[in-house]
Amino acid sequence: MAARETNPNFMNGVPELLILRLLQQEEMYGYEIVQAIRDRTDAVIAVGEGVVYPVLHGLERDGALKSRRKTINGRSRIYYSVTRAGSRRLSDLSEDWAHLTGAIQKMLTGGQHGQVIA
Amino acid sequence: MAKSLHELLNELRERLLRAGVAPRHVRRYLNELSDHLADLKAEEEREGRSPADAESAALIRLGNIDDLAKAMTEQAEFQSWCARAPWAMFGLAPILSLAVAWCIALLILWSGWQIFLANTDTPFVPIDGFAIFYFGVGRLLYFIAPILVGWGIGLIAARQRLKAIWPSVGLVLIALIGGAARVQASRTAVSGGLGHIRMDFGLGASVQGTLFHALVIFSLAVLPYFIWRFQKARFFSA
Repeated sequence: MAARETNPNFMNGVPELLILRLLQQEEMYGYEIVQAIRDRTDAVIAVGEGVVYPVLHGLERDGALKSRRKTINGRSRIYYSVTRAGSRRLSDLSEDWAHLTGAIQKMLTGGQHGQVIA
Repeated sequence: MAKSLHELLNELRERLLRAGVAPRHVRRYLNELSDHLADLKAEEEREGRSPADAESAALIRLGNIDDLAKAMTEQAEFQSWCARAPWAMFGLAPILSLAVAWCIALLILWSGWQIFLANTDTPFVPIDGFAIFYFGVGRLLYFIAPILVGWGIGLIAARQRLKAIWPSVGLVLIALIGGAARVQASRTAVSGGLGHIRMDFGLGASVQGTLFHALVIFSLAVLPYFIWRFQKARFFSA
């Protein structure tokens, strides 16, 4: 019997998904990313703002993001943008997330017992 | 009472380093957090808060120190090599470094022998002129190499706030190897008269002499690390 993927933590991969989605449109630095997440989710997703950096650094290390230092108005900042590998990862994460939310939605709206989802 | 920005960053740095996060990742994280805090504080001030209130609000928004530390420490790829493979960093790497330094020192000895002492059976004879400087460089490198490697171990241990066990293992190893090493040279040992240089490791004629040499190397190698520990302890108690 084939092993099934599990979802031990429903928020697993969500920060990566949101960050990759934002950076797909334009390059941003950490503070901008956090503000954008807060604005576009109507502050529904709010985390300690500092924890975004380990996620950014991890994505960069995995090759999903690249960074460059830019000085604007006399302040030096690290801007992040998505690489080709990052775009692929965004596509995979989006698909996984769509399956998961679809499954939960089905459950909430009364999906049949034993019905195979996804 | 809420921590100040300076206190928060200092405490976070210490926690991350002690948890084995590589210093370069810690430095980058703290720099970006510091920039982020400056942006948050400016935003709070634009909304009419006093500088002190703005800083407090910014620190709360940044997240508590446990979450900030956990976000970094739970990612294994940010761990330093000292945390991942201390046996390699404090066992293998010092021995390899010492081997490289001694190879260079012996190469200087061998080349000096060929250049300045072409007719002698051994390079360990009285010399004069430029030969003193030439052989002196090799001799200095040979004797100082274990101490330099020991300083390297101390520097890494200090930078990464390591517990004493692995750095001590490395220092003892280097001191024992340094104390037990002997160089022998003979032109007649191999045919062709090119000269043959050999390194031996053992207690030699005098066990006390070897151990004393090892103790001197250990003491000199560990000294800067002890000074650093002493100054740090004094700084925190002040």
